[in-house]
Amino acid sequence: MSQFWNAWRKRKESLRNLTLEQHANKSMASVDDRTVTSVLEDNIALIEQQFGKSDDLVIRKFQIKTGEEAAVIFLDGMVDQDVISDFVIRSMTTEQTTYLAPATNELEATNQLRQIVRNILSGNSVLFIEGSKEVYLINSRGWDRRGVSEPKTESVVRGPRDGFTETLSVNAALIRFRLKDPNLRVRHLIVGQRTKTDIFVMYLEEIVDPPIVNEVIRRIEDMNLDAILESGYIEQMIQDHRYSPFPQIQNTERPDKVVANLLEGKVAILVDGTPFALIAPALFSQFYQSPEDYYERFYIASMIRFIRVISILIALLLPSMYIAFSAFHPEMIPSRLLIAMAAGRSTVPFPSLVEAMFMEIAIEILREASVRLPGPIGPTIGIVGALVVGEAAVSAGLVSPVMVIIVAVTTIGSFASPSYSAAIAIRMLRFPVMILAGMFGLYGIMLFIIVILVHLASIKSFGVPYMSPISPFNPIGMRDLFLRLPHHLMKKRPTMFRVHDEIRMREEDQS
Amino acid sequence: MKRQEADSSRYSFTSWQQICLITSTLIGVGVLTLPRTATSRLMEAGWMSPLIGSLGAYFSLWMIAKLSRRFPGLTFVEYSPLIWAPKGSPRLGKWISFPWIFAYLSFLYVATGMVSRIFGEVVVTSVLLDTPLEVIIITMFLLAFFLSLHEVDVVARVNEILFPLIIVPVLFIAIASFQKADWNYLFPLIRVSGKSVMEGAYEAIYSFSGFEIMLIFFAFTKRNDGKEKAGFFGILITMVVYTLIVVAGIAVFGFEELQRLTWPTLELVKSTEVPGLILERLESAFLAVWVAAVFTTVANSYYAVIYGLRQWFKKGLRFQRVVSGLLFIPLFIITLIPQNVVEIFQISSYMGMANLILNLGVPSVYWIVLALRGRRWESKEGKADG
Repeated sequence: MSQFWNAWRKRKESLRNLTLEQHANKSMASVDDRTVTSVLEDNIALIEQQFGKSDDLVIRKFQIKTGEEAAVIFLDGMVDQDVISDFVIRSMTTEQTTYLAPATNELEATNQLRQIVRNILSGNSVLFIEGSKEVYLINSRGWDRRGVSEPKTESVVRGPRDGFTETLSVNAALIRFRLKDPNLRVRHLIVGQRTKTDIFVMYLEEIVDPPIVNEVIRRIEDMNLDAILESGYIEQMIQDHRYSPFPQIQNTERPDKVVANLLEGKVAILVDGTPFALIAPALFSQFYQSPEDYYERFYIASMIRFIRVISILIALLLPSMYIAFSAFHPEMIPSRLLIAMAAGRSTVPFPSLVEAMFMEIAIEILREASVRLPGPIGPTIGIVGALVVGEAAVSAGLVSPVMVIIVAVTTIGSFASPSYSAAIAIRMLRFPVMILAGMFGLYGIMLFIIVILVHLASIKSFGVPYMSPISPFNPIGMRDLFLRLPHHLMKKRPTMFRVHDEIRMREEDQS
Repeated sequence: MKRQEADSSRYSFTSWQQICLITSTLIGVGVLTLPRTATSRLMEAGWMSPLIGSLGAYFSLWMIAKLSRRFPGLTFVEYSPLIWAPKGSPRLGKWISFPWIFAYLSFLYVATGMVSRIFGEVVVTSVLLDTPLEVIIITMFLLAFFLSLHEVDVVARVNEILFPLIIVPVLFIAIASFQKADWNYLFPLIRVSGKSVMEGAYEAIYSFSGFEIMLIFFAFTKRNDGKEKAGFFGILITMVVYTLIVVAGIAVFGFEELQRLTWPTLELVKSTEVPGLILERLESAFLAVWVAAVFTTVANSYYAVIYGLRQWFKKGLRFQRVVSGLLFIPLFIITLIPQNVVEIFQISSYMGMANLILNLGVPSVYWIVLALRGRRWESKEGKADG
């Protein structure tokens, strides 16, 4: 047994020691590690063999001005055709160049077969010239991409309207454009043995705590997944506690949110092919904080935060409160309301737990169905489901009218959280607490709350306790927890993330 | 790919966390009976008993804090052998300190059970009338078991998070019930003799037990100084809460009536009416929120027991998890030994006595031993702190 563990540990250790380049090469294991020759036809045959004669591999041969044969190879659809025709082929066939180089902005020369194959796969084109051992890698990436548009999942009333797209370089530019600081560092990683997804890890050098960055990079490199199709793969693989229902890494479509978090000393992870960027470490406060809080005046922002906290509590606890009150503690309900409720429930044949479960599951089905339905039909189904079915269920005596109100308020409350992945955690936790309330009433609800709080206190995100700044108590962080104090009172960054440059507003900048 | 925390992250208790630990451990089921026990001897001057009781509690906690300062980073289980024997013979020290450690751990162990039992009785008699007592006790144990699956820094954070949940409702009840208060019940201010003041303080002492968990938890503080201060504020907050509750109890019911109430604080909650509040009859809600207070008492004491055992046997987290699961079985049987509430109150008054002897006696003994040995060869830490 111990031998097994030692072998396992050694394997982990050896993986950790691999450099990034070795990682990239490891994923290219099927390609021979060799150099190319100086004979053009041989090289073309070599590349064709690597791609198994894929039909989208384009090999365009031409003669350059100085007389040698040349060939440019790329994958159809992944390159900008204009770059190839204007700046590679035309410039080399017509202009009298003294050295053999095409006129494009980014150019590299190599003779490693693996590097060539990797570049073709990522949308670059390669230029072979007869008699030359050097091969030119030309940056000609240019596939059709979606333009920058408003983020769908996180809309704000006031704030920038641009959101991330599926293209990594555009996303990085959206951040750079807001944060013109030379200390903004970008580390390029390639993960996924088959997908070879490009990942940018971004951080602000002077502010961030270096161990956090190193830990993020180490965990990403350790993943060994063969496919990264969305940032969710990375999120689930690198979070601290994989069995926790709470998201320990934040995701966002908003560049302004990423920039604000970078400025607090967090690390952003951008993944090619998805508009969702990851932010680590994340805290519980992500459940109810939105970038808009900082754009509006602080009274309003603080009040809205309170409302979000209340709505999260409602989304989590209201159905179970109903069960507890109606089944265990009717004496707590004011007597007039109690009479009205009893009248409504008199035709309902089920215990309140079954009634609530029935309605909550129905509303979950409705919600899921309206997401899947094609655009214009979705809202219609919502109205039909909510109004017609709800009304019919009441008049059929299946559920009480109060239950319909409670389900409606709960559902609306769960939409008030600015973070979708946080809201679905709450949605899911609603069901166990309903069952406990059906067993023990308010006592059961409290048992559940304590279990959740113990769990929340125990988890950490990249070394930062999830419940900070409540616990461990951090007075600077508290200024931006439930209340959002005015900006001039938040001169220091929250210190939970062990930031190195604490000062946000320097004295000399004040006027 | 399990990511174990570095061992150093354990030594991270802030002063505020220590205060929360002490306060939330002290405030537990004691509050539910406190107005009655405090007034049984002192009558209308019952509010003095938490004041005097807190002095004794603080003196004991102060000695514990001083002991812990002398051996920074070590728990009682670890430094006790060092006190009893020279460094060369750890086994001798371990055997001499066995009875003391055993006494403390078994006291905490039984106290855990009693607290769960008392709380179970309250819940079963006043809120969940159809639920068996055993179920309440088992759920309480499961909560404590869940906490003892975690490392020690989690305990501090849990207490920090639950702290407002414990303080706010009891303050709310105390202050809200003042609107029904008849202040004449509090007069004459001083009528009792000095002897009955001491007796009254003794009656309240059980509600101050629980701070002995700091024998274990003081070891994990971030800074070595400030332990006495944290202890002081922890006891102070508890004292204020207790005094308010007793004053509210006397002022609303009068001390004669208090003697006839089994759970006077709960009656206080029942009599509280807050205009404009949607809910009527708050006692169910109060008891539900009170689960947090009882949980911190039960779970902290139980954690201290388990952690002490873990250190005694020099084992890791896995041992702690297994043992905490196993030890609940005998505890469950112990918990069910008392036949009724009267017997429970009798046992808890014995336990108050045991607590008094342990908490004042053991630290004194340790300090005497340290003083006798210190004359022969003074340790460096002692000089720096002393």
